Amino acid sequence: MTDDKDKDKDMFICRCEEVTLREIEQAIDDGFVTVKDVKRVTRAGMGLCQGRTCSKTIARIIAQRTGKPLEEILPKSFRYPVRPEKMMAVENEEFDDAKNS
Amino acid sequence: MTYAADVLVIGGGIIGLSCGFYLSKRGKRVFVLDSGGFADGASGACDDMILFQSKKPGINLALTFESLELYKSLLTELDDDLGFANMGGMVLIENQQELEIMEEFVAQQRSYGLDVEVIDKRAMLKKQPFLSDHIIASTYSKMDSQVDPFSVMRGFERKGGSYGMKVFRRNGVVGIDRIGTGDYQVVTEDGSIYQAPIVVNAAGTWAGQIGEMVGATIPIKPKRGQIIVTERIPQIGDTNLWSAKYLVTKLRSDVVVDLNEDERSMGLSMAITRSSGDTYLIGSTREFVGFDKNTTIAGIRAIIKQTLTYLPKLRDVNFIRAMAGLRPSTPDGRMLLGEHAGIEGFFTAAGHEGDGIALAPITGKLLASMVCRDPVDHRLDELSPNRFANP
Ligand SMILES: Cc1cc2nc3c(=O)[nH]c(=O)nc-3n(C[C@H](O)[C@H](O)[C@H](O)COP(=O)(O)OP(=O)(O)OC[C@H]3O[C@@H](n4cnc5c(N)ncnc54)[C@H](O)[C@@H]3O)c2cc1C
Repeated sequence: MTDDKDKDKDMFICRCEEVTLREIEQAIDDGFVTVKDVKRVTRAGMGLCQGRTCSKTIARIIAQRTGKPLEEILPKSFRYPVRPEKMMAVENEEFDDAKNS
Repeated sequence: MTYAADVLVIGGGIIGLSCGFYLSKRGKRVFVLDSGGFADGASGACDDMILFQSKKPGINLALTFESLELYKSLLTELDDDLGFANMGGMVLIENQQELEIMEEFVAQQRSYGLDVEVIDKRAMLKKQPFLSDHIIASTYSKMDSQVDPFSVMRGFERKGGSYGMKVFRRNGVVGIDRIGTGDYQVVTEDGSIYQAPIVVNAAGTWAGQIGEMVGATIPIKPKRGQIIVTERIPQIGDTNLWSAKYLVTKLRSDVVVDLNEDERSMGLSMAITRSSGDTYLIGSTREFVGFDKNTTIAGIRAIIKQTLTYLPKLRDVNFIRAMAGLRPSTPDGRMLLGEHAGIEGFFTAAGHEGDGIALAPITGKLLASMVCRDPVDHRLDELSPNRFANP
């Protein structure tokens, strides 16, 4: 039983940077209770997908563990680039129209 | 609520956390107060270098040597993996004029004890096979090192915590008074009150605003730097890289350096370092735009265009993020470290501009030593905040 639970804790929440549930819970227990803080402290969401997959999961874990409402925790903004982009894209004319959304 | 401590550190960037760590290690009860989240200031939007080659012989270079030694002992002292690496660095030289100036500069640095040399194109390409053909030579120093700023901050906070240090976030300081006992009383946004005989102003770019609360003149100005982060890629060369151009304009104001529009208007110069996460950090700009820490499309474009002129091979690589930080810059390029004359117990440790990661450990250690009234180190007179007291 405890074994199973321990295994759960080794599950990757952020697959890009291979950050486990255990590390995320540890960060929350140390007082890092926003998605941004958890990300900077653990690297979760700093990888290729930039948190598109794991941000919501992390927010949910924070909400569960702190008892705060989820809406307060969900990240609000994404910055340009919103997805990985080739460096050579700067040679495109449209590059300047990219939006920080 | 009212809280009491021995020392209140205002600002929980890498400098404030280092001060807090070294103070608490010496037995002080320390509170660190920050208006933002973890690493919301410059310390969370910067490169990761402990860079020697950019420094003229003098106090900054001397302190970088000492800081590197401290980092080495922190590797065992702190519980976190600090992402320390020692890849060395090269400064890329593009023409004869730069070569002459860099040869002279390297000679000065060598006589000061820095292990650095100018290497020819063949030796350069051996270390960096993908460099553009127009680069004629480079410097090389094996001393240039790096750490992961986030891990260092976490490490200071975790270990400091074990000595009793407490960090309060998202609750900025809005006022500082002195009460009858002579203690400082610091008020934060939510109305909490913190009292202590000693206040350390480590608010980086914002240190001037904290200074105003006690009548201290602190001429620190935000100098924005934008950088981009690439996806994880295999290592593309042995070392980290910088362009000589910016260094040359700083070293020799008498020579006219041929700068393009971006280099002139945005203070653009190239820095490319391999991070501990196997991505590359590429920058950066030097812009005076007040306290605006947004990235700009023009900035990102300029950085990438410039990078491709040095390393055309990176064309096909993805960049995954862009960020901007505000370097705390001072009029003479030196930090402010020490107690303010006439404001007993009020210290500033801020103004590291582009060197705060490199200089964090030594800054914290020296600050703790000043607060604990150790014998005065007169080398540090030139860092005294009082040099700006009577403008
Ligand atoms: C693009 C870029 C690249 C860089 N590269 C390097 C490098 O390779 N090597 C290197 O050594 N350095 C580098 N630097 C410089 C380095 O980032 C800074 O020198 C360093 O981070 C400064 O640390 P700090 O703690 O003084 O400031 P910050 O990290 O900005 O911390 C100041 C803190 O004060 C807080 N604060 C502000 N106002 C208040 C208030 N009223 N109450 C409470 N808290 C407040 C802020 O929230 C912030 O957390 C770079 C900087 C940039 C921008």
